[in-house]
Amino acid sequence: MSQIPNLENAPINLSAIRARAQAELETILKNVRGDKCLVIDPKLSGSLSLLVQSSELKKHGAELRHLTAEPIQTDRTKVVYLVRAQIDLIKFICSHIHNDTSKGLHREYYLYFVPRRAVVCEKVLEEEKVHELLNIGDFPLYMIPLDEDVLSFELDLAQKEYLADGDATSLWHIAKAIHNLEFSFGLIPNVRAKGKAATRVADILNRMQAEEPVNTSDMGIPEINTLVLLDREVDMVTPMCSQLTYEGLLDEFLGVNNGAVELDASIMGVQQEGKKIKVPLNSSDKLFKEIRDLNFEVVVQVLRQKATSMKQDYTEISTTSQTVSELKDFVKKLNSLPEMTRHINLAQHLSTFTSKPSFLGRLDMEQTLVEAQSYDICFDYIEEMIHKQEPLVNVLRLLILFSVTNSGLPKKNFDYLRRELLHSYGFEHIATLNNLEKAGLFRKQDSRSNWLTIKRALQLVVEDTDTANPNDIAYVFSGYTEERHLYPNINFHSLQLIFYSSVFACNLSYRRPIEEILRLLPGPHSEIKRGGYASIPSYETLPGSLNSSEKLADGRRSLVLVVFIGGVTFAEISALRFLCSQEGMAYDLIVGTTKIVNGQALTETFIEKLG
Amino acid sequence: LLWKESWELARNPMASKGSPLHGPRIKLIEKAHNLFTETKEHMFESKAAEEHAKLLRIQHELEVTTKQAIFVDSSISDTIRTCIVLGNHRAANKVKTEFKVSEKRWYWLKVFALATIRDWDALEKF
Repeated sequence: MSQIPNLENAPINLSAIRARAQAELETILKNVRGDKCLVIDPKLSGSLSLLVQSSELKKHGAELRHLTAEPIQTDRTKVVYLVRAQIDLIKFICSHIHNDTSKGLHREYYLYFVPRRAVVCEKVLEEEKVHELLNIGDFPLYMIPLDEDVLSFELDLAQKEYLADGDATSLWHIAKAIHNLEFSFGLIPNVRAKGKAATRVADILNRMQAEEPVNTSDMGIPEINTLVLLDREVDMVTPMCSQLTYEGLLDEFLGVNNGAVELDASIMGVQQEGKKIKVPLNSSDKLFKEIRDLNFEVVVQVLRQKATSMKQDYTEISTTSQTVSELKDFVKKLNSLPEMTRHINLAQHLSTFTSKPSFLGRLDMEQTLVEAQSYDICFDYIEEMIHKQEPLVNVLRLLILFSVTNSGLPKKNFDYLRRELLHSYGFEHIATLNNLEKAGLFRKQDSRSNWLTIKRALQLVVEDTDTANPNDIAYVFSGYTEERHLYPNINFHSLQLIFYSSVFACNLSYRRPIEEILRLLPGPHSEIKRGGYASIPSYETLPGSLNSSEKLADGRRSLVLVVFIGGVTFAEISALRFLCSQEGMAYDLIVGTTKIVNGQALTETFIEKLG
Repeated sequence: LLWKESWELARNPMASKGSPLHGPRIKLIEKAHNLFTETKEHMFESKAAEEHAKLLRIQHELEVTTKQAIFVDSSISDTIRTCIVLGNHRAANKVKTEFKVSEKRWYWLKVFALATIRDWDALEKF
């Protein structure tokens, strides 16, 4: 199976986006005639693998290399670099070129920035005096469809850059990506934003529209009805909790990268020692589509059921005589066998992690932290973790949860924990602590925590959910055994609020309490209606009857694009899918994100690497 | 501005690794410490810088006495552990009192360290 997801079932024509990116890449390769060596930024290679297969690239006479500090070994005379605009990568390229010239080699160099060049990088090239040797271009790859309903802008560091470094480049990229989308699918009439970064993106988007308007007259009805921009900052609690959906757990323990996990071949039952294989994970895999959003506990049951029913079929086949059509059905079922084996192997591997006491202990702790009732227990637990020198990321993850739910720690405890951290992990981590403090993730307490109010207002902690037949979204974080209850998913709720406030825009009595709760959450919120749709009055004067106005003429459900600035977890995507599969939902959802994250990945971006 | 400046200073020495740069490194960190003390808000940072400088001195001494270049750039806890593993309990105690290591942490470190060298007798006694 290919790692490139099948996009045919997507609610909008996402394959068009991919096709355009493919075409652009092709032109780049064609512009450089003859054989060439294509040097790819390792961070980009994953994204590219979602676009084209490497055999496809080789057809264009390209030899593939990853960009590293080492000089490239190739006999090709043309070198094409494909990199993000990052200074350290540019320095690698400079050293490559210097190395070549010192050996007297003359090559043609082409440099393409993804998605666009940065002035700083060109300055570096000028300083290194290699600017004239290079042909520089852009490869405007602003987003990649990860699956039928997930788009990624592939900006790993967006959250950290904006919060800790005050660098808003990523916001521009997000706005640009959305603006590009509008060129293909029409101007999005409703834009809602929550959080500082989100409102800024909305502003930038408006400015782009003013400077370079999307032509509305020849487009007809826009395909995307509403854009919801959400700032990760609004909810840092959810990503810090362990995800418990199948896909989420795969990400927590094995790391899902660009729609695939990489693991030892032996786990998948292949007898090849020490070899790594990539297992693609996307909706093209029917079984995976069915179980990805389920609680892991349920996944095991589903797999067991499938296996037994298959076994039953098999015994029937071998004992009784069958008609040809029955045989055909059976063979069809057998075809799903490789998928079954794959997921049974994966599930088995996962359960070795989930049955560990340390994992269960952490779940327990997360629960306690989120309930925010027993401060001392949490404090002692984290203190002990530091003393035992457990992996720094794990400690920080809980610490962030601790700090966010208490809106900071009292100064005495804050300084004490910081000191213990520095003593245990080394003084170089003071930069990390500083990042976290600037981002407001681990800080001194300055106001009374409103976490409890939010929690109560949004009914975040739900007791007892039937994980098999969930009626509430919280199942995605729900616990393993019976006594472990539910994990909150504040982000889902904050989203639901924005959602409802849009649906019930006219119903003021419903809306007012929502606005009050929205105010409790950090960051400003904004609502913009964008003009140009005078011909479609239903969007402007939204009547109370939802069904008549929100449904498009051809009976399709209208489409909402939800963009998470700063990343989204698989569990949250699962929650959204669950939400739109509910009856009475008048929307289809597409999720856009700067990056699929988990608590670990998100915390790691804040750890400053020194020396 | 001052904060930024001192921050850069604190960063630089850590970026430049290794014992040869030892002298200048400590000086840089001490300078950072002084810069941090000039503002009120950065008490914590200044203290950390001070302790860092002190730690590097002790680690340097330890490397000279043990003739093993394994101390510099490890954290305080790591240093204590290494000392115990090497059987140098006096040095470990010294580091402990020097940095006012809490009893709780001290016990964890000692248990871990003794377990790594499989010194079960000492573990028993302790």
